[in-house]
Amino acid sequence: MSNPAITYNEDVVRKFVIAGMFWAVVAFLVGVYIAAELAWPEANLGLSFVNFGRLRPVHTSAAIFAFGGSVLIGTSFYVVQRTCRARLFGGEALADFVFWGYQFFIVMAALSYVMGFSQGQEYAEPEWHLDVWLTVVWVAYAVIFVGTLLKREEPHIYVANWFYLAFILTIAVLHVVNNAAIPISMYSAKSYAVYAGVQSALIQWWYGHNAVGFFLTAGFLGMMYYFIPKQADRPIYSYRLSVVHFWSLVFMYIWAGPHHLHYTSLPDWTQTLGMVFSLMLWMPSWGGMINGLMTLSGAWDKLRTDPALRFSVTAVGFYGMSTFEGPVLSIRDVNALAHYTDWIVGHVHSGTLGWNAFISFGAIYYLVPVLWQRSGLYSTRLVAWHYWISTLGIVLYISSMWVAGIMQGLMWRAYDAFGFLQYSFAESVNAVHPYYVIRWMGGVMFFVGALIMVYNLVMTVRSSSTSRAAPDYPAGAIAAGE
Amino acid sequence: MEDDLSGFIVGVMVALLGLVGLVMASGAYDNAIFIFGLSLAGFAVLFDIGLIRRHFDRRSGGPHV
Amino acid sequence: MFRHEWIEKNAILLLVLTLLTVAIGGIVEIIPLFTIETTVEHVVGMRPYTPLELMGRNIYIREGCYLCHSQQIRALKDEVERYGHFSLAAESMYDHPFQWGSKRIGPDLARVGGKYSSDWHYAHLTNPQELVPESLMPKYGFMANTPLDFDHIAEHLRANRLVGVPYTPDQIAHANDDLLAQANPQADAEALMKRYPKAVVVPGNDRAPTELDALVAYLQMLGTLVDFANTSAEKLQQ
Repeated sequence: MSNPAITYNEDVVRKFVIAGMFWAVVAFLVGVYIAAELAWPEANLGLSFVNFGRLRPVHTSAAIFAFGGSVLIGTSFYVVQRTCRARLFGGEALADFVFWGYQFFIVMAALSYVMGFSQGQEYAEPEWHLDVWLTVVWVAYAVIFVGTLLKREEPHIYVANWFYLAFILTIAVLHVVNNAAIPISMYSAKSYAVYAGVQSALIQWWYGHNAVGFFLTAGFLGMMYYFIPKQADRPIYSYRLSVVHFWSLVFMYIWAGPHHLHYTSLPDWTQTLGMVFSLMLWMPSWGGMINGLMTLSGAWDKLRTDPALRFSVTAVGFYGMSTFEGPVLSIRDVNALAHYTDWIVGHVHSGTLGWNAFISFGAIYYLVPVLWQRSGLYSTRLVAWHYWISTLGIVLYISSMWVAGIMQGLMWRAYDAFGFLQYSFAESVNAVHPYYVIRWMGGVMFFVGALIMVYNLVMTVRSSSTSRAAPDYPAGAIAAGE
Repeated sequence: MEDDLSGFIVGVMVALLGLVGLVMASGAYDNAIFIFGLSLAGFAVLFDIGLIRRHFDRRSGGPHV
Repeated sequence: MFRHEWIEKNAILLLVLTLLTVAIGGIVEIIPLFTIETTVEHVVGMRPYTPLELMGRNIYIREGCYLCHSQQIRALKDEVERYGHFSLAAESMYDHPFQWGSKRIGPDLARVGGKYSSDWHYAHLTNPQELVPESLMPKYGFMANTPLDFDHIAEHLRANRLVGVPYTPDQIAHANDDLLAQANPQADAEALMKRYPKAVVVPGNDRAPTELDALVAYLQMLGTLVDFANTSAEKLQQ
């Protein structure tokens, strides 16, 4: 090329952003529906394919893998190109394959759940053939990412990329190990897991907890490390802290899985190990939070003028809260009360709604004007509306689940004056009904917030009010050293 | 040119996967594999048509999609 | 003197070191579960699932029952009083994968076998609210009208054998007969009982076995296999 400009592949990033927003709406809608099924069981309609048991994996997969995954892959492609000053390795075709292959996986997985095909492992429900397909797509993704790192023009690999890399590698390992299964035939979608019983349980929660640790944490921390400094126009608070917290987070997270299995038939030594590492994990988690929040020092006033940044910063706040609640819940005696109850559901949603969704919203609000060459967002007022309505939704969600969860835990272990169990199980189901209704309302608010966001983004791209007077460079091209 | 080489390798790979899809659909025990196999074949056809279209767009200097 | 810069400037080094760091915890926790002999207790009574129970278990997985029901009674006083003896690792040793669950929207099912009659289960699965008004459970009446698909039953047993469930050639050869015998009270169940002690023959309905028959057969055996009378406390030490 004759000039020093590098043409980045922004086409694939745009596609992932659109897909991410689409799946966000789907995931929230299904979430609202299954929350309604729990509040009013008639909503199951007696139809096999809308039953709670079949739709719940649609909700979790759409939220984590479709929405979260699309945003993660999309932003990682954006970040790795800019921080390496290199176009994506492997050309357009490979990047497109990752995009369409990943979307194909999601659609096929959702379809298979409602048809009644599931491995029966939480967050790893897709059957073997879809697991194989995802592995192919994921390897292509890793090739692009690592290839781009290798051909970079910058001497240093930027910290956001460490986290993205850890996410890509670890998810690959977790996925392959946890999904090992033997199908009854290559023509049948039914398979039997290689592991059984207690080993199956530990491997599943080693997978499950590190889907949280590496998909929902490391990957999103990569986003935090790029977009918060960009939005705040400030460098990362502490380089040293990012080094320490990266390695300690990556090392410790992987041990924490057994805290999902306290007091079960898993041997005690494993439970204890899981609990100890979960407690220690508090430190590197808060290291990340401090690094994210302190990046704003000297720029706090921006929160008043930039509601998109407010999403990113609130996300880090929720991250700090969830990563404090997590270690507390991993303590055996707390877990004895909280396990199997809605407290856990609330905990997960404070992480996924408060941290993952909010940091994604912040990044997307930043990205859309850049990717579509617009002068800015269509309406910052609407961003503020989105922010407040979804924050209120989260507050309703998690506080109702705290009350419901603690109530269930206490009712299940309550004894009457004669030393008998005081409540039947059905009484505990009855008692939490009002909180299930409140939770549903919180979910509806979060969903409405996402619709406002979609409207705002569409108008940002379409409206003439946001067009740039004179685009000074062609799509995707950016001067080196931007 | 990197994009052409990558298009060729990815295109052939996807075509092969599409064939696997057809084979699976042909012997399917259940709807899940039948639908998956056919969809995979359809995916491969559409994806490769997209690659070919893009190749010619690039050669004729047409709209860069 | 070590400098982190070396890692930051070398993508392959970063990749390898990240993988190694991540691998340690998993290896230390997972490998011993396969090698320490006492992880799965030695108890009397465990056997592989009958063909009908296995198909019922597959329906249990298909419908996502594990999302609302646990199958794991923790070693806590109130749980043992509510649900029965705490669960043993041995009791899920043939579960590929495990179904311990993580949430109780409904009660634990680890020992639901034998607690209710089979007729109760048929009525309850068809319309849960009729028997338990507070219940949030969906209605599963459609299973009563869906014939069970067991064309490939022998392949199911064979796949289980491949992953370590000790089905004998005899059990695999008679998979089809055993399945039919368990879904029909008029059939001769002697051979079935010999191959699978404690199997519960379900009422059926004179027609081909339905999905509901399989599910009830599965529910009725849950937690009933281990002979606790002949199991001392030391044997349960992991």
